[in-house]
Amino acid sequence: MSYAYLFKYIIIGDTGVGKSCLLLQFTDKRFQPVHDLTIGVEFGARMITIDGKQIKLQIWDTAGQEAFRSITRSYYRGAAGALLVYDITRRETFNHLTTWLEDARQHSNSNMVIMLIGNKSDLDSRREVKKEEGEAFAREHGLVFMETSARTAANVEEAFINTAKEIYEKIQEGVFDINNEANGIKIGQQATPTNPALPGSGGAGGAANSGCC
Amino acid sequence: MFRSRSWFGGPWGGRPKNRLSLEHLKYLYSILEKNTTVSESNRGLLVESLRCIAEILIWGDQHDSLVFDFFLEKNMLSYFLHIMRQKSGGSSFVCVQLLQTLNILFENIRNETSLYYLLSNNHVNSIMVHKFDFSDEDVMGYYILFLKTLSLKLNTHTIHFFYNEHTNDFPLYTEAIKFFNHPESMVRIAVRTISLNVYKVQNDSMLRFIRDKTAAPYFSNLVWFIGKHILELDTCVRTDIDHQSNQKLSNLVAEHLDHLHYLSDILLLDIKDLNAVLTEHLLHKLFVPLYIFSLTPAPPPPSLAVVTQNLAAVLNRNVDIDIQEMHNPRVSSIVALYLLSLVFLVVTHAPLVHALAWVILNGDHSVFKEGAAEILNSYVEHREVVVPGFGEPHESLEQALDTVIGHTQSTSASSGTDAVSEDSGVESTPATSASPINRHIETVAEAAATRLRNITDEEKQRLQQTTSTTAQQGYAELAKPFLDTVLQALDCTENDYLALLSLCLIYAMSHNRGMKNEWFEQVLSKSMHGSFSYRTALIEHLLNIITMSSQPACRIRLITVEIALELLLTFTKSAADEAPCITSTQQGLLFGARNQSMVVLRNFYKSEDIFLDLFEDEYNEMRKAQLNVEFLCMDSTILLPPTGTPLTGIGFTRRLPCGEVEKARRAIRVYFLLRRTCQKFLNEKESLLPLTNVVNLVQVDNVLDLNNSDLIACTVVSKDNAKQRRFLVIDALQLILVEPDAKLLGWGVAKFVGFLQDVEVQGDKDDSRCLHITVHRGGVTHNRTPLLSAKFLFDDHIRCMAAKQRLTKGRSKARQKKMYQIAQLIEIPGQMDSPLYPVGGTSSHSGGNTRLVQRGGLTANRVPGFAAVLRSNNSAGVSRTQMAQNRSLEGLRNEGGGRSRRRSPITGASSPSSLRPDNLDRDRSPSMSGGSHSSSQSRENSQARSSGNRSREGSPRMPRPRSEEIPLEDFQHSRNNSPHSRSSVLGNPSPSSRSHTPSRMLHYDQISVHSASPREPSLLIGGTNALLSPLNGGVAIAREVLPVQSSEETSFIGNDGDGATENRRKGRGTIETV
Repeated sequence: MSYAYLFKYIIIGDTGVGKSCLLLQFTDKRFQPVHDLTIGVEFGARMITIDGKQIKLQIWDTAGQEAFRSITRSYYRGAAGALLVYDITRRETFNHLTTWLEDARQHSNSNMVIMLIGNKSDLDSRREVKKEEGEAFAREHGLVFMETSARTAANVEEAFINTAKEIYEKIQEGVFDINNEANGIKIGQQATPTNPALPGSGGAGGAANSGCC
Repeated sequence: MFRSRSWFGGPWGGRPKNRLSLEHLKYLYSILEKNTTVSESNRGLLVESLRCIAEILIWGDQHDSLVFDFFLEKNMLSYFLHIMRQKSGGSSFVCVQLLQTLNILFENIRNETSLYYLLSNNHVNSIMVHKFDFSDEDVMGYYILFLKTLSLKLNTHTIHFFYNEHTNDFPLYTEAIKFFNHPESMVRIAVRTISLNVYKVQNDSMLRFIRDKTAAPYFSNLVWFIGKHILELDTCVRTDIDHQSNQKLSNLVAEHLDHLHYLSDILLLDIKDLNAVLTEHLLHKLFVPLYIFSLTPAPPPPSLAVVTQNLAAVLNRNVDIDIQEMHNPRVSSIVALYLLSLVFLVVTHAPLVHALAWVILNGDHSVFKEGAAEILNSYVEHREVVVPGFGEPHESLEQALDTVIGHTQSTSASSGTDAVSEDSGVESTPATSASPINRHIETVAEAAATRLRNITDEEKQRLQQTTSTTAQQGYAELAKPFLDTVLQALDCTENDYLALLSLCLIYAMSHNRGMKNEWFEQVLSKSMHGSFSYRTALIEHLLNIITMSSQPACRIRLITVEIALELLLTFTKSAADEAPCITSTQQGLLFGARNQSMVVLRNFYKSEDIFLDLFEDEYNEMRKAQLNVEFLCMDSTILLPPTGTPLTGIGFTRRLPCGEVEKARRAIRVYFLLRRTCQKFLNEKESLLPLTNVVNLVQVDNVLDLNNSDLIACTVVSKDNAKQRRFLVIDALQLILVEPDAKLLGWGVAKFVGFLQDVEVQGDKDDSRCLHITVHRGGVTHNRTPLLSAKFLFDDHIRCMAAKQRLTKGRSKARQKKMYQIAQLIEIPGQMDSPLYPVGGTSSHSGGNTRLVQRGGLTANRVPGFAAVLRSNNSAGVSRTQMAQNRSLEGLRNEGGGRSRRRSPITGASSPSSLRPDNLDRDRSPSMSGGSHSSSQSRENSQARSSGNRSREGSPRMPRPRSEEIPLEDFQHSRNNSPHSRSSVLGNPSPSSRSHTPSRMLHYDQISVHSASPREPSLLIGGTNALLSPLNGGVAIAREVLPVQSSEETSFIGNDGDGATENRRKGRGTIETV
């Protein structure tokens, strides 16, 4: 399938917070959430539309790659967006966020968009982390925040798509070097030289014009 | 991807209601059975069925074991295989679903028995070797994830499902590593994960297979891949002198670091056989032939033909050794030094780092033919020699693996697949580079290896000598060409571009954990460079850098200085005792550099506020930032020529200074670095820095005795309109807001503390009782949120003004004091005519403006002409004795030598700021009482006039020596003087006198005492005014020796200008001086 851009995402967070379920929930809607079934997958892709443009999101879960230093460090760098997930019913997963964030900030390129996700919002009765705490953490570290439920599919779409929107905006602003695939952004095959140049340079040019006049 | 669910409405009907049930699986099975051939029409149906199967299986794994039994019983995996092998009907569409189903299956399955059953019939291996359409990114993603998921299931039990010992089959590993150079980074990462997961499994026979059949092809291709990447990096560095493609370069560097960390992770798994092969390849296929080779000077072109040869032709091999070596690919020496540094920073595998270090330290040109055989032999028993040479492996990894797997009896791989890429340098080896016959090369290499093993060290030495002399006539005189290159790179005459990287390399080598610590140093000490050892040569080079860095306008970056100093310590460290061993000449050079840096810094010493802020900022920065060469080497910008502009985004220490402020910062920092190093050599502890002695500071929640302290009551209104009733206390250094202590009368609890030097006060236009006070966090940049920013509401205008003036004065006094400390620190000489003269400069600037207007008679002190008159008028005779005394003190000081001189200001520095919570009543000196006294001011004032002197000197408790607060020197000094001067030394209002006299009065008295005191004028002059006529050196010395007095004096002058009392002051001033 053709697309204008491909954004690479990674999902990070403690084990058991529902990363792969979120991923599957987003990339394959045919898996309808069922009460007594937890299914996840560690890779997935899906097409979305932003600003009339087809954008492919490719999501890689980090599961099982934490054991080696060389793997973690390279993993972050190749992504344009990261979903940092914790489980609202397990306080310790929230407490570990700082470590995850430090890791991400240390190894990723500085433009990577990070979204904080409090997952399992359907289990409100077992909640250990208040929504306000998540919001405060996100505000403090400059992240976008959202509570989701992979089980009810609440906010799952929004989490991935909002992240994509932010990346897209950064491309428009010319912050991301889209010609550099190491940033986790790829220009689609159908988008031949003229097309990819347009959004980036066009956006920058537009801004410059408005500034001058 | 968005398939409708309507397929189920199709001809097969009868779909069970419950999606998650055995019945549904049976139904799906029937679909698979009926649709064995994929076609356009049943494609969607099949995909949806495969998807549902995944769902049901996982559900079954968690809820109903019968589901799995049915799946296995019907051998449904074989249907999967059958479907994927069909080329028709848009199979990649189906394949994506198939792979997703498999992924879901293997990722989510919890029941171990189910897993074993799934793996048992070899279908999984057949799926792995299937050639999917890997050009489809989704297929590639799901496929590699499938392999990764399986690799995570590997352990000593499951390994047998994947590795077949009898057929030498290990598709999980061999299929995965074929993608080691895939353009998609996530795929490459997955490949690395898979390989590491495989190596991790402790299974001898599997590891043997890995080593014998795959290690050499994989590692040689991997090394070549890394090498190509390095050539690209080198091109980037060569072409990017203007820091234009920074991002590209930093990505290339990060990518290379990924490679290096991956190699290091493999080596850290400590699989002996594997490591031997990897070490051999890295060393002889990359490090020696590319990195080390690039350290040799590019040979002069023997003929024009060579010169004109295209760079691309470089890769072509020639039979002639010399020519060929000339044409080997090389990178710039910058890149070579950098890459070698990275190796030593990342890799700790002993044989590898040891051998590489040996090559750098001892090697000569023979190494390009023999490699580091000597060292490696001592680590590995049966080495399989890889002949040095950087070149592309003749077979791609895929081909090599196919050959290896195909012919299980094939030869020893390590020499088999890649020895062909280069001529083998050992003499007996025919230099036929194109021979692809494995067996032939193998025997040759074996023979070479045997030979190398069998000869003794001496023989080897001789061998090396002969080869080096015969083959390398041109370089014969250089015994250690590589080490020489590294040392030569330390030359900073032009700039420190190469030197920084050379320092990084030396640092990395000397700090590598894989090598024995002393080994490196011993080798350096023993190997002779001319008449002295390399170690000496290195130290000289380091000292050279250090000396140059202390010069003004040098082109050496701070980070270079820092590493050079660190290395100097490393290489002068003697094993036995603490103090570094260094010759007196070397030490002289180091201390000379420090003194020079002090001279440079003096030129920046200015009265402006910013200097102090810069000074303290730099000190904090230096203390915060520990030298971390590994972090430094992750910064690709050090590969580019040093630049001055901050627009590149390069941190301050890693570029040259830009503009006056940064030059000042640099001068300060160089001085700090040198000072710190010199202290380490002297085994001294820093005692003068930081300027603020934290121990003496009041902390929040301290309970303070505020009896006899000056308190100004106020209401603090914060930005959010919260009001708090507080008392404002102004200490020598701090602004303190206290709340009365509930238990102890007259005591208070500090609720807020801030430095006076960072206070900003503004009046309020509309409310004369109001002040806007901001306490900044200190430092040059004020963009951080201030510590406190609030409106202070006082009881009346008088108190408000009093507070304002005391804060303003307090600020300038605190700053003056610190400026004075700095002047002491950098030993500003007594050039009285120097406009840079320290404290005088500040005091005459700050606060002077306001005071001058109101001062009247005392103004004379501030004007050079007047002051001089004042001096001669007052006490010419006494001042002569004063001078004499100063001279004697000077002698004393000189006797004490450098140390005592440095020590003397310590005590001086600690005394004025010694407001400690416990003795607050005694030595704190809020100069003016709060507004509460204002009503009775005039009356008290008249009283004070008459009783001032008496009350001070007559007080029985007053002369009590407070030796712990007064610097010994000062105290002695003051005793030698008149009682007047002693009282001036003791300075601030004594408790006794204060108890019956308002402090404000006392200050008048002090002023009068000072002015009348014989040595007062010189002190005033020395302490406060730089512009006095440069009468003699004696005055200057007085100032140096008596820092505290003079600073105290300044503070008194600060006091006397206070508040509402200024008017009356005029009259007094004249009386006193008359």
